[in-house]
Amino acid sequence: MASEAQSRYKMVNVRTGHVIMEHDVLSHAARSYFCDEPIPPREDYREGPHRWRYAGMAQSFQFDILDERTGETVQLREMLGLVYYANAKRDSTLHRLGTIAHDNGISVYAAVAYENPDGSVRVLDGEKVRLLNALFNGRLHTPGKKVLILPDLFDLYRTVSYGDIMIDFGLASLEPEEV
Amino acid sequence: MKLSVLAEKLALKPVTEMCDKEITGVYISDMVSDVIANAKPGDLLVTVQIHNNVIAAANLVDIAGIVVTQGKLPTEDVRKMAEKAQIPIFSTDLSRWQVTTMLYEAGVR
Repeated sequence: MASEAQSRYKMVNVRTGHVIMEHDVLSHAARSYFCDEPIPPREDYREGPHRWRYAGMAQSFQFDILDERTGETVQLREMLGLVYYANAKRDSTLHRLGTIAHDNGISVYAAVAYENPDGSVRVLDGEKVRLLNALFNGRLHTPGKKVLILPDLFDLYRTVSYGDIMIDFGLASLEPEEV
Repeated sequence: MKLSVLAEKLALKPVTEMCDKEITGVYISDMVSDVIANAKPGDLLVTVQIHNNVIAAANLVDIAGIVVTQGKLPTEDVRKMAEKAQIPIFSTDLSRWQVTTMLYEAGVR
């Protein structure tokens, strides 16, 4: 499925690093963030009324998308990863929707974003989702194959950004704990 | 080269239903993020990973097939996921290095 998008959009500025998961020892709040330091921090630290403690990490990466026609680069720093529908819980909306789409030749992924520092929801905006779809579909070769990347309309961020179940949930940008 | 031809040359054991495809390259990695960032459509992925995230990444990149080395076998769930995504998985007792050299000798460059 070589398309116009194949030559137009490119994955650039790939940064490898870790998703660090931490929790507040006082309020038991949890959060995660991307860290590209060679040695990720593990020390407790204070931030206002919170005392954040390291809870775990997973290898991951971040990237930007270059539009080779305009020369514009769009950053995707807020993206935590892509959840493949088949990795979502069987009774979830994503899994059910993805199953129907798959039967029609479309592989569905949900783009999950990090939460805002105050814990509020962050959803990738429409233009970034459009670019993600153009990027990945532009790379496909198998005739008839199609990828559909949706914003996190499924509240997945609460599950996948809250620490230790993250790996098992199936974020495609994260590494399993064991080999 | 077709997957079926390569499987025969390297004596790879299919662990999913065969969906024969043309291989246009090889990528060797055990990191899911590395596969998404650097593997190319049509590549044969040589890995020791058998986690379901590998299928999610391989499907996203349009990997032609997966060779799992060192005798590892994916679970039934992972096999079903791969079959649904039409990504054949093969198993071999060989190491990644041995598979790599055999692929080169078989003419996959």
